[in-house]
Amino acid sequence: MSVEPRVRQFLLNNYLFTDDDAALGNDDSLLQKGIVDSTGMMELIAFLEEQFAIRIDDDEMVPDNLDSVNNIVAFLARKSTTRSARAGA
Amino acid sequence: MSLLARLARRVAQQPSAEALVHGAERLTYGDLWSAIGSASTQLRALRMPRGARIGLLLENSPCYAACYYAVHAVGGVVVPLNPAARATEIAGHLNHCAASALIVAAGHPELDALRIAAPDVQVLDAEALCSGGARVAFTEPVPEAPACIIYTSGTTGRPKGVTLSHRNLDINTRSILAYLPLSPADCLVNVLPFHYAYGNSVLHTHLIAGARLVLDRSMVYPRGVLQAMEAERASGFSGVPSTFAVLLSRADPAAHDLRSLRYLTQAGGAMSTHLAQRVRQAFPAAKLFVMYGQTEASARLAYLPPERLDDKPGSVGIAIPGVELKIHDEHGREVARDVTGEIWARGENIMLGYWNDPDATRQVLEHGWLKTGDLAHRDRDGYIYIDGRRSEMIKCGAHRISPQEVEEVIAQLDGVDDVACTGIPDELLGQVVKAVIVLRAGGNLSLKAVQRHCRERLPPYKVPRAIAFAEVLPRTASGKVQRYLLRDNDHTKGERDVSTGTEYARG
Repeated sequence: MSVEPRVRQFLLNNYLFTDDDAALGNDDSLLQKGIVDSTGMMELIAFLEEQFAIRIDDDEMVPDNLDSVNNIVAFLARKSTTRSARAGA
Repeated sequence: MSLLARLARRVAQQPSAEALVHGAERLTYGDLWSAIGSASTQLRALRMPRGARIGLLLENSPCYAACYYAVHAVGGVVVPLNPAARATEIAGHLNHCAASALIVAAGHPELDALRIAAPDVQVLDAEALCSGGARVAFTEPVPEAPACIIYTSGTTGRPKGVTLSHRNLDINTRSILAYLPLSPADCLVNVLPFHYAYGNSVLHTHLIAGARLVLDRSMVYPRGVLQAMEAERASGFSGVPSTFAVLLSRADPAAHDLRSLRYLTQAGGAMSTHLAQRVRQAFPAAKLFVMYGQTEASARLAYLPPERLDDKPGSVGIAIPGVELKIHDEHGREVARDVTGEIWARGENIMLGYWNDPDATRQVLEHGWLKTGDLAHRDRDGYIYIDGRRSEMIKCGAHRISPQEVEEVIAQLDGVDDVACTGIPDELLGQVVKAVIVLRAGGNLSLKAVQRHCRERLPPYKVPRAIAFAEVLPRTASGKVQRYLLRDNDHTKGERDVSTGTEYARG
């Protein structure tokens, strides 16, 4: 499964407790919509670190990286580019 | 004197000093006063009677503060409500206190449902109330008149509205300022919701003292909170134990210049001595004030002087100025030192009672004393240590959850014969909700189905994190559920095939 559906499925299952794909828009703000609170965010970070074998630094915990499905997907893409660039260097 | 009169005095002293910072918005005391003028002028035009209850359903914002004081300016009673709550709960509270109006942000997701569930309540747009400016005109309220109703439990059957008078709020604000002196030089980054007693007291103490409050939305991005502290040269920060746990586990205070920080306050449940130690190490320049209180006491009842943290670890300290605390046994007699009993409190900060509920009021107020339901003992120096709670309320982060409320929601599900909820320990939040369900014969339910049902009707923090299925619930001879027995899994012996004992959600 590609990145976006995995992230969506995690958010739907764990915060909205639903299989209804329409319950979450890719640009919906997780904070504004009350989907993720501070503990929810810790769990989201743990999920992303484990599933995508990355380490999220404290300074990466910002809304631009984490506040919507699209932001998360773009953030993961950036992380993987950085990683391959590092691996290639 | 009322809080509003004290605020008026402060505004006259320092109109151009900053009062509230919220994102890019920076309001001076003069700006705040002018927003109060605008809101109170518009509210007055509605000709509501003195003592009218006015709901306030807003996230922390300058507008929240302006509307709060504007309601006082027109002689109304503020009813702060939880913006994360669902329409049924909010309407339950509005209807319970027969509110005349509700101040709410446009676009609140529950607004349409609210108009149906509380049809007699006039809905007022918060932004419109606060924009524009006007002079504040008010007459000093009667000190004993209700100023604020804070609902402490969302129990749909029986909401408890803690009714605080103008005197209660003023006295408690001044008592706090007596042990925690604040000045116009202070600045606090606030993440606590104003609609709870703790946040409410942070708001009043800082504004009355002329300090600056920087409103950060929440602890979702802990590093942002530290950045705000650094950028604003904050001198103070307040939290419940989980606030500090999140801050230390997902952000690095050492990476920020926080030398300006001089005080930290903690209330809202016992903080472990280990966490208190970590907090002090992480913020070496700041004094940590461990505090204890209740909504029924306006907010604060006791505090531990920071210089006693080392010789009284785990203590919530001594009574704050103007408050008397006693520890009683079941027969109403004071206990000897080191013996556990119930904390009774007396002082002018103790609530008038529960709104429109003399029976519930009689159960906790007796000859001017508040029976807190908190179990504690004193050491030989009179320092108080909390040992437990008589009440079954679940303490999750900054929230208090009534088990009945979650039970009532789960009971609506098909297949549920009986249900009881309790709090189980959680490293970060203190407690989370666990539900124990007895299924009807042939009933079938998954953890997810229960959680989804709850999530549709309750804010996220009330959704059970753990669920167990049982044949019967443990009850006393008189039939009352023994919730404390639900915490372990012994009662789930002989569970049905549909489940395997306790299921845990989200790890």
